[in-house]
Amino acid sequence: MKKNIAYLFLGVFFGFALSRVGASDYELIFGMFAGEDLKLALVMGTAIIVGGLGMALLRNMGYKGYKGQPIEVNKKDLNKYTAIGGALFGIGWAISGACPGTVIAQLGEGKIFGAMTFLGMIAGTYLYAYIAEKHPSVYF
Amino acid sequence: MVKALLVDPWPWWLGGICIGLLVPVMYYFLNTPLGVSTGYGNLAKIIFCHTKLKWLKSSKFERVCNWRLLFIIGMLIGGFCSARFSGGPVFVNEMGRFTELIAWGSIPTAIWFFCGGLLLALGARLANGCTSGHSIHGIANMHLSSLVATFFFLLFGIITVWLIRLLMMGGI
Repeated sequence: MKKNIAYLFLGVFFGFALSRVGASDYELIFGMFAGEDLKLALVMGTAIIVGGLGMALLRNMGYKGYKGQPIEVNKKDLNKYTAIGGALFGIGWAISGACPGTVIAQLGEGKIFGAMTFLGMIAGTYLYAYIAEKHPSVYF
Repeated sequence: MVKALLVDPWPWWLGGICIGLLVPVMYYFLNTPLGVSTGYGNLAKIIFCHTKLKWLKSSKFERVCNWRLLFIIGMLIGGFCSARFSGGPVFVNEMGRFTELIAWGSIPTAIWFFCGGLLLALGARLANGCTSGHSIHGIANMHLSSLVATFFFLLFGIITVWLIRLLMMGGI
């Protein structure tokens, strides 16, 4: 129960931060890809550096959590679908002006077209499950 | 101070620090990697609850109301609060320069954004992560696959925006 509240609270924090910094703003995403306004690229860069420093600290502490519990870092495999999926994702990112996280913030903000992207994501995830059924090579 | 945090848009560094901190904080307290896109599997399973598809029946989604769903619900509340604090209407039917420059009417525009979501989801599942799982969490952990995925996210985002400007917005 305590854990569930923590996840909910962290989600609120994440959604609030994404929305406040403008990551859910179509103009800022479009502007980043168009090279007009690199605010979101700076946000991503800062997040990677801060996250990386935090993970380096955890690594130096021997990957132990606050109660001394072990931390298992989730590692993702590299294969050709990393590139193919990455390309499809990039196209979708530019078309919708959102990514899977920021579209949830858009929905919370009441953006009607963000809701359409959100529905598209649910449908796309189902479509993936369907494709993975027929083609076990993309079942991850 | 309160106005700067709750009402005004945040500067890039504040957003970057808050989002970046989530990665080690989630590992330290919950031993959980930051990530959003797999949670759409929970949502798909809630809607298609009698699905026979193996992926949706896998152990990841055995309990639909798990941390991923709670995290998504939290993000929804976060986005809602952020928009309410800064004022403005509850429902917004514009989307930056897209709805400004492209007078398609609401149904074609809705289909456009739906297709964007479809590609996002397919891409995230094939690449095994999205902006948070790969670009933030993965690169912070120095994973090569995340660097490759992020390179393709950005490359194809740039190409697509360039094409949208050229073909749909009347030039670069």
